[in-house]
Amino acid sequence: MRVAVTGTPGTGKTTATERLATELDVIHLNDAIKREGLDDGVDEDRDSVVADFEAIESWLDGRDDVLIESHLAHHFDADRVIVLRAHPETIEERLADRDESDASIAENAESEALDVILTEAVESHGTDSVYEIDTTDRSRASVAEEIEAVVDGEREPSAGTVSFVEWL
Amino acid sequence: MSESEDSKWGIAHVYASFNNTIITITDQTGAETLAKSSGGTVVKQNRDEASPYAAMQMAEVVAEKAKAQNIEGVHVNVRGPGGNQQKSPGPGAQATIRALARAGLEIGRIEDVTPIPHDGTRGPKNAGF
Ligand SMILES: Nc1ncnc2c1ncn2[C@@H]1O[C@H](COP(=O)(O)OP(=O)(O)O)[C@@H](O)[C@H]1O
Ligand SMILES: [Mg+2]
Repeated sequence: MRVAVTGTPGTGKTTATERLATELDVIHLNDAIKREGLDDGVDEDRDSVVADFEAIESWLDGRDDVLIESHLAHHFDADRVIVLRAHPETIEERLADRDESDASIAENAESEALDVILTEAVESHGTDSVYEIDTTDRSRASVAEEIEAVVDGEREPSAGTVSFVEWL
Repeated sequence: MSESEDSKWGIAHVYASFNNTIITITDQTGAETLAKSSGGTVVKQNRDEASPYAAMQMAEVVAEKAKAQNIEGVHVNVRGPGGNQQKSPGPGAQATIRALARAGLEIGRIEDVTPIPHDGTRGPKNAGF
């Protein structure tokens, strides 16, 4: 089985998936993109490499029983897609702690307020495969547990259960 | 999209999230808000109906408010992929733009300014509407 864990940067994907108890191999896709050169140039404005989706697809090909963690994970084949959510203010605080630039913090917080990743995930995988988890005010451990619950088939799909649009 | 010298143009900002559409009309600089969809409240669209009806109604209201302030036309900034994308792309945004036009506003340049999540990596292109 393939599980994708996606969500706006700062929602806690890397933190939660580093402490999972699971049989699945955890792939931190952003690291793989950089390590394997699965990119297609640089977006200087955002100080980010532009992911090469075709190259990533072939690199992922044949890797089953994996949990793919990245804000790009929902763009690839998966049986279940977990979308971590966090209030835009929480995103701002967490990204500021991580020393991201003000421009990055603002753009990611707005992305979260507009449900950009949730909408893309539902568009690609349908509501039956999407599991939204609001991590605002939740401990790292309880987020990890809820991800495990999805992997173990103990949670129903959900999408659009949170709305941060009033923050805009 | 001709802008004659005495015509006043504004910017319509359309925020389309998964469940909601919000519209504001500002002056050209974006500094002054001339009209807000129902005073800043958010109209929920019924996802089951996939109906852009709420967005259209809001667009009519803000268009009237803007016209009352001598706005003849708007450039449109759309943010967000939202609005029942799995059924048809961005009906919230598209219906809004059509409704603004139908309410008598000229429509100028339409820009997709949807934010791009990034953290050292980003996707290849912005999901257009
Ligand atoms: N549940 C949580 N509660 C409080 N802080 C968290 C939580 N999850 C993550 N963090 C912190 O927020 C920051 C971003 O987390 P990270 O896992 O890097 O997010 P992502 O991988 O989604 O970008 C880190 O500093 C992390 O320690
Ligand atoms: Mg991370």
